[in-house]
Order: sequence, then C-alpha cells, then structure tokens
Amino acid sequence: MEAMPQRFYNKLNDNIDAMLSIMGHSIDFTYRVVRMANNQRAALIYLDGMVDMQAMQDGVIRPIMERALVQDNVLDHMKDQVLESGNASYAHSMPDALEKIIAGSLLVLVEGVHTGLLISLPGWEERAVTESTTQSVVHGPQNAFTENVRTNITLVRRRVRDLRVRISSVTVGTMTKTDVAVMYINGVAEQKLVNDLLAKLGEVKQDGIFDGRYLEELITERKRQTVFPTFFNTDRPDSIAAGMLEGKIAIFVDGTPFVLLVPAFFTDFLQSPEDYYQPYLFSSLMRLLRYAALFVCLIAPAAYISLTTFHQDMLPTPLLLSLAAQRENVPFPAFIEAFIMEVIFEILREAGIRMPRTIGQAVSIVGSIVIGQAAVEAGIVSAAMVIVVAITAMSSFVIPSYSMSIAIRVLRFLFMIIASLYGVYGLTIGVILLIVHLCGVQSFGMPYMSPFAPYKKGAQRDALIRFPYRSGSR
Amino acid sequence: MSKRSIAVQLLLIMSLLLGGVGCTNSTELNDLSVVLAMGIDDKNGKYEISMQIVDPSQMSANRIAERSPTTVFSETCHTVFECFRKVTTKTSRKMYFSHLKMIIFDEKTAKLGIKQPLDMMFRDPEIRPSFQLAVIKNKKAKDVLELVTSTEVLPAQEMYKSLKVSERYWAQTSSVNVLQLLRAFEMQGMEAVITGMTLSGDSKKGKKLDNVKTPSTPASFNYEGIGMFIDDRLAGWLNEDESKAYTYITNRLNSTVADIKCPSSKKLFVAEVVRSKVSKKPLVIDGEPRMKLIANVEANVGEVECDIDLTKESEIRELEEHTGYELKEIMEQGIRKTQKYKSDIFGFGEEFHRFYPKRWSRWKERWNEMYAELPVDIEVQYSLKRVGKMISPITRTKNGEE
Repeated sequence: MEAMPQRFYNKLNDNIDAMLSIMGHSIDFTYRVVRMANNQRAALIYLDGMVDMQAMQDGVIRPIMERALVQDNVLDHMKDQVLESGNASYAHSMPDALEKIIAGSLLVLVEGVHTGLLISLPGWEERAVTESTTQSVVHGPQNAFTENVRTNITLVRRRVRDLRVRISSVTVGTMTKTDVAVMYINGVAEQKLVNDLLAKLGEVKQDGIFDGRYLEELITERKRQTVFPTFFNTDRPDSIAAGMLEGKIAIFVDGTPFVLLVPAFFTDFLQSPEDYYQPYLFSSLMRLLRYAALFVCLIAPAAYISLTTFHQDMLPTPLLLSLAAQRENVPFPAFIEAFIMEVIFEILREAGIRMPRTIGQAVSIVGSIVIGQAAVEAGIVSAAMVIVVAITAMSSFVIPSYSMSIAIRVLRFLFMIIASLYGVYGLTIGVILLIVHLCGVQSFGMPYMSPFAPYKKGAQRDALIRFPYRSGSR
Repeated sequence: MSKRSIAVQLLLIMSLLLGGVGCTNSTELNDLSVVLAMGIDDKNGKYEISMQIVDPSQMSANRIAERSPTTVFSETCHTVFECFRKVTTKTSRKMYFSHLKMIIFDEKTAKLGIKQPLDMMFRDPEIRPSFQLAVIKNKKAKDVLELVTSTEVLPAQEMYKSLKVSERYWAQTSSVNVLQLLRAFEMQGMEAVITGMTLSGDSKKGKKLDNVKTPSTPASFNYEGIGMFIDDRLAGWLNEDESKAYTYITNRLNSTVADIKCPSSKKLFVAEVVRSKVSKKPLVIDGEPRMKLIANVEANVGEVECDIDLTKESEIRELEEHTGYELKEIMEQGIRKTQKYKSDIFGFGEEFHRFYPKRWSRWKERWNEMYAELPVDIEVQYSLKRVGKMISPITRTKNGEE
C-alpha cells in the first residue's frame, strides 16, 4: 500500500483514485460524480448502507445540482446556503475524512478545490425500541435500549429532565473506535468517581469493544477481581435513570443495548425494577424471597450432599429412610450424583440458550424426559437429587440479574466440592469465607456490601425490604 | 502479606481440616443400616443385644420383592459395645444408631440393673439421647423386635408412636425418655420408672409377615403398667390404676378418661379429664415429714349411664364429689403400692430436698425407709365443666316421656 496522502489533491480524479486505493476498492465504498449548477464537477463519496440515501438525494444532490451557482468559494456557499440536510464541516486531511466516512458521513469534493465538505448523514438499518427481553416486568415501563447509543441516551434523557444531567463521550477501542458515553447528574454523582472513570476509560487498550462487559473487566483492577458482578448492567432505561438519581454513573457503549451503572452494590443485583412499581409490602416480601432463593441456589446441592453423607442424624427418621430407599440402587456417591445432575442441567441450559428457537422445544422435551424420569427409573440418580437440582435451577432463575445468577452458579460447584469433603462444618466455613470475601469486594472504590457492611441506617429503607415512599425522606 | 502466602496458609488450614472432619467420616446412605430399635436381654449372665434395622428398599414406592421391612441381628457378648462391633460380621453395612427410637429390656436385665448397658448409650456421640425405654414382661426383648406390626411398616416406629399417643390420651402409660431416666438416676429424692410392655397372642405367628395379612393380628404388643425402680434395678410393677396415680401426681397427664360408678346405682359414667394439676406441699410436723397433695382436676362429661338429671347443679356437684373421691382412692392406692416397694417414683424426696435442705441431708441416707412410712394427705378439687351436646342421658329422656 502506498503512503497515504495527508492532504487532498487539486484534481478530483486524483482524489478519488487515492481514496479508492486506500480503501482497497471495497465494494461498499461508493462515489458518485455530479455536475453542479455552476457547471463544476463534484464527487460524493460515502459508504453504501451507512448514509441515509433519501436525505442525500433530497438534501445534498438536488440542491447542489440546482442551486450551487457561485463560482468562487463554492464550498462556503454550499455549506451556508445550499445544503439542506446534515451537519457540514470542512475536511482538510484525507485520513480524517476517511475516518468520518467509515463512521457514516458523506464527503463532497469539488473539482479544483483541495478541501472537502463532510456532511454527517448517518442512516443505517436499526432495531426499533422494543420491550426488554432480559428483565421483563408486568407493571411499569416496558421499553428497552437499542444498539444505538444516541437513542439510548435519549431514552434516559427523556426520563430525567434535569439541567444538571451531564454527558461526556470517549472513543474506546483501537480498531472499533466505539463511542462510549458517560452520563451522570452533576452534584449528585461524586465528581471524583466521574473523573476516575473517564481517566480509566481513556487508558483502555483493546482492539475492540462490543459490550459493556469488556469495560467491566478492563477497568477493574487486577487485585479487585471477583466472581461477583461489580458493574450493574441492564437494558432498561428506567433502571438507569433511577440509578442516576441515586448518584450512580451510567456508561453507554455504542452497539449494545446493555448499559452499565457504577458503582454497583450487592443489593442492586437482587432488586427488580418492578419492586418500585408494586405495593411496598408485596415488593418487600418478593425481595426477601429472592434472597432466600439466592441462598438456596448457592447451597441446596451442597446441603444435600453434606446431610446425606455426613449428618444423617440431622434428618427426620422418615425422611432419612425415604432418602435411603431412593439411594438404594444408585451406584455413585452423593457428590458424583449431584455433580452429574448439575452438569447435565448446565448443558441443558446452555443448549436451550444457543439453540434456534424452533429446536428449543426438542431440547426441553429431551431434557425433562431423559433427565427427569429416565435417569431416576434407570437408577442412575435418585429422585430426591432431581428435586434438589430442580429447586436449585428454579431458584437461579429467580435472581433478577443474570450476571449475579452466573456468579452463584459457579460458586455452587465450589460449595458442592467443599460439602463433599467437609460436610456441614465445611459448608459453614465456606459461607463465612464467602461473606468475608464479599465484604472485601469493591465496586469502583465503594464497598460492595453497603449498606450492610458498612452499615448505613438511612439506606436500609431500600435494601432488604422496600419501605413505603412516604415514610420520611432519604 | 503476599497473595501467595495467604493461599498457602488457606491450603494448609484446609488440609488440617481434612484430618479433623474430612471425607473419612463421610458415609453414603446406602452404606448404612439404620438401627431403629434395640433389645437387651440377659443370656446366662451375658447380654444378648438385638438390633432391628430397616431395609430401605422396602420403604420405597417400587419395592422389589416381598421381604420383611426390617431385619433383626442378635449377638451375645459381655458388653454392649462389643456386640455393636461383633454384629458387623453378619451384615454388609455399618450400624447407624443416631435414629434409635426404642430400647427394650427384658425383666431380668432390668432387675440386674440397667446403668451398665446404658453407659455406652450416653457416652457415644453418635447416639442421640431421645429414645424411649420399655421393659417387656415375661418375654424376651428380641421377641418384640421380631414382631411384625400392622399399622406402621416399621415395628420400631409403631412402638414409639403408640407409646407417645397412648401417653397423651390414656393416663395408664408413661413414656420414659432416656434423659428423664438419667435425671432420675442422678436425683437422690426420686426413683426412676420405665413403662411396661406385654406381648399377647401367638408370638411364633407374629414373627411372620402373615401376622399382618388378617384384620386381627395373631400377635401384638401393648403397653401395660409402669415399672418402679430402686436406683437402676426394677423393683416391682404398678397395675393400670396405680399407673394412673403416677401420671396424675407427676403432672404428666394430658387427657384421659375415667370410669366412675354412679352415685346412686351400679352403672357407670365416664369423665374425660382435660386438665389436671397436682401441687405437692411438703410439711414437717413435729420433726417428721408429711406430704400434702392438692389436686385440681377439670373434666368433661363423656358418657352417662346413670339416672341423673344433669340440668340440676346439685346433681353435678354430687357427681363432682363422687369422682373426686374415686380419684383420691386411686391416688392413695398407687402411693401405698410404691411405699410397699420403698420406691419414691413421685419424687417426694426431691420436694423435701428443696424445701428443707438441712433436714434432707439427715434424711437422705434412709429416705427409702422413711418413704415407706410417709403419711400423705390428698385433697381433690374436681370440677365437671362441659356436658357435651346433650344434657340428660338418652335412657332418661325415654323414661321421661313414658
């Protein structure tokens, strides 16, 4: 590849040839030569599919063919008087102009002028704003973010009409050059956190960023790594808006409908936006139920293993006998049995997610019949084990945040191993160590277990249970 | 501290734990034989220990073949622990005692003393001290364990539950938890009791599954009477009425029924006792101990055969007086019996211990003798509360119409 010319040539054809060769004659790199009203030749250069063709036709081509009559300073004339659509700006260097073109701008070059006119006319196929698929609610706002960062910012802006809302933007990714926007309410969010975040985003060295998860991993310090999610992510604008009111900072990444919120606390991952749209009594009960489900999901198989292999004396006699009857012909130790079932369930779940939707039915049938019934009848696993796995699985779906549910799923296996080696004693120590670890986790410098550790009295109003809105102010 | 050294320390701690509670202690459920009941018999000066274990496959919905739900293993040895270990030569699984429900002694072992065989039961951490005890009259404990029972699949469960239920609704039995027994052993002014048990019918037939194939079982067990102990040796038996005195005086009564003769005729009427409280008042008169019992009993009218008019308060008062008198008789009879055997199962000595600790220290050595002579005054306050859905007896209504 020949060295890229920094500036435009005087001759139109030279410019076009140079740019074509830089772009390697890609088929979507399109140019169109038109004759302006003043009889000068002009070229429109753009990426096919990245610009709004209708706007280009009506707002650029027709005006310059009909009204660009001036001979001198034709670019100024065009920019100020002729063009009807798009933000126009001058382009003096060819590399910059190309960067803009691949981001969806239209470049207008005129014969004999070594400056170009860049018109921002992005227009590509987009998904419309639809309902949230990952966090659906019965009551309350239904719309969800899309892949477009501008749309997403607007969705939040519309909800928080405050003059103090601030948005700054960073470009991240050496090759993808992804737009990352940081949104917060000035004076509510801590300025130090915002500066920190922007600085860290600027330091990110990565070829490509396609989702917020990249940032979560890249920004978190190495020694602060944990299985627990420390960035809250959601595709619901109302969650983001509510988080900003609490002083959190939203991070929008272009190209993904999932927006991040930092700092995130443990309690955030067990709250559903619906908690705020339902009566507080019901919401509080549901929240407690979720905490219980989280605990069940974490230790149910481990508790089963330790009770049946170490502490048979802790079971009521009829239950012990019934469990013993079921285990009578099971060839594996309880741990192996539990491990097999849990792994099979994880396989089923993974298969269910990756499968095309039409085949998903088949997966669930095979799963429920083979795993649920045949395995028990064949005597490979006991019926009680299937119940335990099923309860665990259902509980993992109760956790509103998918990223928290993943963390718990991983830890569950660890607890199963501990239980098989140390019984309830080990399980107790394991839970204590887990709590110790959780108290050490930080999300962007803030303690993860807040408001429990450190204990903040005021914040208890919306932690384990949701107090009525009217009972005093924050 | 560097991250690596923390990891090393954690690893060390975990491996130490492994030695303490590690997987060596783990046992799969299908490697355990759950012992639900145990019998201790005397066999030529040695103990014959019988263990009733459950065959779990018989507890599941799809049982394989018609097999007995329980198996009984017996061993004869000098000590209980020795038998526990010796029995492993007969079975593929480890005996598991945490769910032990019943221990049954034969009369001979009970008379020789039960502290020695029970020592291991209190000492072993695996055994939970919540099992019940019983003494079988005239038969061997092994015979009871081998019995096939009708209501529950597991004989041990049937014995355990039946004791619990009858204690609740029938005052003549009294369940004895091992902890209560231990407490009685430790107290100076109280002797232990253990409920009695009998086997009736053809015990050979009762050991076959055929025992439960007919509506009326050829052989069955039932609880009967209470065994009085002196220290850890069985001294004698209380019959049904005398056992009742024990449940009344020790306030263990939940509910019972009492047949009582009508004031004016030979017919009976039944009082269903719903609440009873006996307070003990130890007195010292002229330096001699004297016990005063005040019983507060509340009952409902359960069944009436007498020719009385229950709408009249005076007739109810008469009934109350009469039932109170009968109860007093029963209690006196029970106390006389225990005094005959010098076994203070009511814990009267303990009351004197509490109220007159100084005198007690002089009495305690010869308390058994003193108990035999102890005068006991009984005062009964009986009240009949509800007469049920009917007021006058059916028989009387008809007579009234004529």
